[in-house]
Amino acid sequence: MSTGKRGGPLQGVRVVELTKVWAGPYVGKLLAQLGAEVIRIESRGSLDVTRTYGVKDIDDAPGFQSVNAQKLSVQIDMKTPEGIRLILDLLAKSDIVVENLRPGAVKRLGLGYEAVRAVNPKIVFVSMGMYGNTGPLSYQTGYAPCFAALGGLSLLVGPEDGAPTGMNVRYADSTFGAYAAFAATAALNHQRRTGEGQFVDVSAVESMTSMIGDTVIDHALTGTVHRWDGNRHPDMAPHGAYPCRDGAWISIAVASDSAWSALCRVMGLPTLAQDPRWSTLADRQAHLRALDEHVAAWTTQQDADEATAALQQAGVAAAKSQNSVDLVADAHLWSRGFFQEVADRNGKTKSTTGPAWTMSRPARLADAAPKLGEHNAYVLGDILGLSDAEQRRLSESKITW
Amino acid sequence: MSALKSYRVLELADGVAGEYCGKLLADFGADVVKLEAPGGSATRRMGPFAKQGPAGETSALFAYLNTNKRSVAFDVTSEEGRATLAKLLDRVDVVIDDHADGWLAAVGLDPATIETRHPHLVLCAITPYGWSAPDERRHAQDLNVFHASGWGFHTPSGAQPDQVPLKGAGRFMVSYEAGLDTALCIAAALVDRQATGLGRIIDVSKQAVMASRADYVLAQMVAGDMNVGTHRTAYDLHGPAGIFECRDGYAYLWMSAPAHWEALGKLMGHPDWMKDFAPNWLERDCTPERVALCRQHVSAWLKTQEKERVATEAQKLGLTMVAANDASDLKASPQYAFRQYFARLEHPVLGALDYPTVPYRLSATPAALRAPAPSLGQHTHEVLAS
Repeated sequence: MSTGKRGGPLQGVRVVELTKVWAGPYVGKLLAQLGAEVIRIESRGSLDVTRTYGVKDIDDAPGFQSVNAQKLSVQIDMKTPEGIRLILDLLAKSDIVVENLRPGAVKRLGLGYEAVRAVNPKIVFVSMGMYGNTGPLSYQTGYAPCFAALGGLSLLVGPEDGAPTGMNVRYADSTFGAYAAFAATAALNHQRRTGEGQFVDVSAVESMTSMIGDTVIDHALTGTVHRWDGNRHPDMAPHGAYPCRDGAWISIAVASDSAWSALCRVMGLPTLAQDPRWSTLADRQAHLRALDEHVAAWTTQQDADEATAALQQAGVAAAKSQNSVDLVADAHLWSRGFFQEVADRNGKTKSTTGPAWTMSRPARLADAAPKLGEHNAYVLGDILGLSDAEQRRLSESKITW
Repeated sequence: MSALKSYRVLELADGVAGEYCGKLLADFGADVVKLEAPGGSATRRMGPFAKQGPAGETSALFAYLNTNKRSVAFDVTSEEGRATLAKLLDRVDVVIDDHADGWLAAVGLDPATIETRHPHLVLCAITPYGWSAPDERRHAQDLNVFHASGWGFHTPSGAQPDQVPLKGAGRFMVSYEAGLDTALCIAAALVDRQATGLGRIIDVSKQAVMASRADYVLAQMVAGDMNVGTHRTAYDLHGPAGIFECRDGYAYLWMSAPAHWEALGKLMGHPDWMKDFAPNWLERDCTPERVALCRQHVSAWLKTQEKERVATEAQKLGLTMVAANDASDLKASPQYAFRQYFARLEHPVLGALDYPTVPYRLSATPAALRAPAPSLGQHTHEVLAS
């Protein structure tokens, strides 16, 4: 049962989510993976789009399932005063609340930081916005690729002799969520030591810029404005993805002259290592195109797995460029529990993604994402202490709907 | 008062991942002592560099990653060094490492026995694939992890089968991501330690961190709810959204719903070509041909526009368009200025620079840049003598 003890460093920590789509739910997902009890507040009147868009069964919606494993769901209508009172009652008994609704929405609902702090001065209130809560542009909203474009990432990705392409369209939401989860947990340390809660304001665009901090400080120091440059890396050559015989791609990154010699040996071209055109990193950078052609001429004669094994054996950093079939079949990711099975309320098991770490005394993950309102009785009865009759009345009047 | 003040952290890392993790903790007030080899951390030898200054002290990368830390330098692989390290362990709450699997055991910190000998210690290690990786995954740079995690194959979106997969933005995205998750694990472990007095051994896999960042897709795939395949576009959302060239740079335009189409019409002054598209084509009739045609017309028009101005106009109409910024745009951003995303810090060799800070503002215990990165061994005496 989801409400039992699962262990993990955040066992006993209660988190409430007023979130939508991916970035906000990812915060709760990480905290749940660390042992927190995470409760999503939902209602039929404003269902998360991931429960509904292109979906037959809101209780088995693939997108929702992917970022809400191990969470609890309670139905409370945020558009009624009585619903707001119930939410405030719940927040009075919680440690962290996470919201990523539209700018200003929680305040309009009567769930802004001041209102919540009035019922619980210990609360860590995490507010997520594209640009954060303050500043001249904080009213603007956008989707993940907008965060990446605004934050400076998109213009750093693209082929050397073409237009910028940016990262894959899926990048940004989860990174934003991870920063919010870290900031919340840091604030929780302070709360546990002093009893003081606080407001935590997280910016998606700043989260992106933080992924290129060194590029930004380069600009501060030297004035350099970096642009998309294929697979170039100032400290490594070769550095890139190369086509293989089996239609796959292999990534190879050579960070030292000795790795370069090793690569040449594996390619069966030991004399290449002595070629003065390529003996140092600077030489290799200067003749990069010809260098890449040499490497590709070899990789196209190999299958990606064979080439990877041979290069690894010689101490060269190489890895297959994994497609989605490779990923879901990656035995190492399974053995570490990154992929694992959870069970839904009917005992039906399904595979999902777990934590990126292993740790001593970890939190147990067992439950699939909740059915809408699956934990109404636990939240309203066990946590809030409402009688069965009172819960029935709330349900019949569609406050908990 | 800062959120992690008075926690003592020993940073053994000498890569970007571990140093970024230590920085995230140090900027929240943790007392981070960075233990460096006599030759200094590897990041001291990575650019960008100041034009002048003593060897090992000119890297702005090192300066960025090591704010608010103290540096202790000795050879941890010598017998004497190992003994000194063992003594330091009794005085710290957290250890961060990012050397290859096996290094910790070699310096006397075998994860298998550390829990018995130092039960209060939170020991966290970051490696490309986590401990116990198979032999064919022993050597990896960030680029290889980017590919092993699935991001490489699927970058960029919309790639043709023969188009070379691209690295992520910048040099160290994978390391920053892994450092961030590690900092999260450490902060969580410290919450528990306050109550129980017990530490934890934490093993973070960069590959899994990056895969986790695509969990919305991967969890659906592994559950059998989304198609897997050997195609480059398996992660993609289809449609005309993308980066477009403007007169003075680039902008990103998102379009997925009829309301966006309507707003685009208003923005462009209802050009004739739009009449060939049904108002709901984005949802109902989004064929590759239509997408290409739409992109072609929008491209031609946006080339005549200025990125900031057109994006602002679009936003007013309910169309999600934003400028694609570079480092100089960020420096000039009124939003970043208002939120003080950059903070000026004086460094003895690099001088005064505007450092990017962190993407969160905490009302009671904000992160802050208090001190520049240390010179090599700057605090050796003070730390070892105390």
